[in-house]
Amino acid sequence: MANQHITLEGIGLSLGYSQLGKRKELLHDLSFQLYSGELTCLLGPNGVGKSTLIKAILGNLKPWEGKLILGEQELQTFPLEERAKRIAVVLSEPSYPSNLTVGQLVALGRTPYTNWGGKLSKEDRKWVEQALSDTRLTEMQDERLGELSDGQRQKAMIARALAQDGSVIVLDEPTAHLDLVNRFEIMTLLREISHIKQKAVLVVTHDLDIALETADRFWLMNCGNPLYMGRPEDILLSGKIQDLFPGEKYRFELERGKVELWQVPDNLPINGPAVGVYWVKKALYKAGIKELSEEIVIEPDFRLTYKEKTVASIEELIQLIQAAKN
Amino acid sequence: MSFKISLFPFALLLLGISFLLNLSMGSIWIPPVELVEGLVSGNWAKNSWEQIILHYRLPKALVAILAGIGLSVSGLQMQTFFRNPLAGPYVLGISSGAGLGVALLMLAGAAFGVSLTGLNSWAIAGAGIVGAGSLLVLVSLIAWHVKDSMTLLIVGLMVGSGVAAVVAVLSFFSGAEALKLFTVWSMGSLGALTWSQVSILCLLILIGTIPIIGSIKSYNALLLGETYARSMGIHTSRLRWWMIGSTGILAGGITAFCGPIAFLGIAVPHLARMAWKSADHRVLFPGSAIFGASLLLICDSFSHFPGWASSLPINAVTSLIGAPLVISLILRKNLSKDF
Repeated sequence: MANQHITLEGIGLSLGYSQLGKRKELLHDLSFQLYSGELTCLLGPNGVGKSTLIKAILGNLKPWEGKLILGEQELQTFPLEERAKRIAVVLSEPSYPSNLTVGQLVALGRTPYTNWGGKLSKEDRKWVEQALSDTRLTEMQDERLGELSDGQRQKAMIARALAQDGSVIVLDEPTAHLDLVNRFEIMTLLREISHIKQKAVLVVTHDLDIALETADRFWLMNCGNPLYMGRPEDILLSGKIQDLFPGEKYRFELERGKVELWQVPDNLPINGPAVGVYWVKKALYKAGIKELSEEIVIEPDFRLTYKEKTVASIEELIQLIQAAKN
Repeated sequence: MSFKISLFPFALLLLGISFLLNLSMGSIWIPPVELVEGLVSGNWAKNSWEQIILHYRLPKALVAILAGIGLSVSGLQMQTFFRNPLAGPYVLGISSGAGLGVALLMLAGAAFGVSLTGLNSWAIAGAGIVGAGSLLVLVSLIAWHVKDSMTLLIVGLMVGSGVAAVVAVLSFFSGAEALKLFTVWSMGSLGALTWSQVSILCLLILIGTIPIIGSIKSYNALLLGETYARSMGIHTSRLRWWMIGSTGILAGGITAFCGPIAFLGIAVPHLARMAWKSADHRVLFPGSAIFGASLLLICDSFSHFPGWASSLPINAVTSLIGAPLVISLILRKNLSKDF
């Protein structure tokens, strides 16, 4: 990541919609820099204006004030065709024509470059093949979208964005419909793309833990606050991350790198290895057990002893405690 | 790729067979072999056959081909543009719009003293196109934000019945002669056109297809939806006007000359998608055109069954064949996914 540079820059943006003559401002005085060769994750609660910002970055919403600079030039001055050669997009909506093959879908990414009939040149084919192999979809290029899993289909959408050969790829919740493993797969693929292909990749996501694992930079958006940028770990250690969780109920647990419910009881006498103690406490709390008359001992081979009885699972332990109470 | 190309000769063969069958069938059966001989060499086995073919059946068959092409490619454009598998010129009320235009000209025109015999084919075509175009603009404005098939269908249905009501009011106040003229028109007919009218229709189909040729790439990009299409440099708002212009001229012109023809526009693109197993408009546009022409020729052949003195209205035949087809499409569980 030696030659990072700013690919897209927002300066003092004000964004909003006007309806029936009334102007409703959603985002005020927003500034940001998007770097090439980095995976940037945009995090923030629903309704904070993430989609509005994405619309503006795609050029579909004209800023009321401020400027969006792409490369050296203002974004709005690019004709639609030229913008398409610089910014590609992947959306979360799972609508797709099932008759299209993966290869045909990726070839659509070459639309800004082809002639009126959409015929692919040799150069275009090379790009399509490259995008397919970068996303490890070469074997699947003749399969139809309707026959793929959601994860594979989203990969194909990313390959299409790659074939478009822009310097910026914007993804609006690309993993919203995917299972856990596929979420990791997609995000590591995006990380790879940003680093190896030196692209500026911006991902809107709600998966904080996966974003922490993969992102180079976070953008935090919060109601009323300006956009906050920084390395994920900086945001974590400075406590800024807590802004995502207003109120006392949820808390970001630094040691574990994830969100936890605030009140996990610490008055339960449990003895044993730290990991075991933590999870047994959690299970008892969820089961509604708030106090114990005797200590629970966890032995190394996961044997739980309570009131001189030994059991081999939390399930049995809870039954034991409840029986003792009655 | 080879499969897609290799299907075209078969489709063209189907078109050729339907064409010959269509020319042969009618109240008098003319054997295809002697028909081809007559057409090629000019030596007809019977003098009456030459008259029947050249002055009645040949223009009728050409009109069937032109109308089949025009309605099918209109349907395909609308389905992709609205991203709705149930869109089509008839279902969305576009044909009713053309009907309203023609009704205003024939019925209201008569009331204001326009002579009916003076109605030339250009005026009828113009009225149909203006009617279809304005209704299409209206439905487009509504459908713009409607992604749901059901809502769009209901809107089309409502607009269609609203227009039908206006036509009914016009009919109520119009004279017997004008009313008869309009009623005959509304039953749909492919055979009422003279050679000069056929050439006008041919011209309209040509003009209506030009925007499609320029927009094939845009339609392919639009398969992924409007946001994706715009991100790939497609001017979707410009395409909307091209689509309205093209379908207005095609569906409007055809409806003006032949009367409303139901279901062809919605059903044929689905048949083409199924046959070619493709979503690529470079395949679907010619495929739909060939299938549409063949299907309308076949429907017309059925309406002129040998031995019957008179023929069935073409609109009734396409509805009889098209309605079950559309119902079976809806009943297939993943119609919208297949789209």
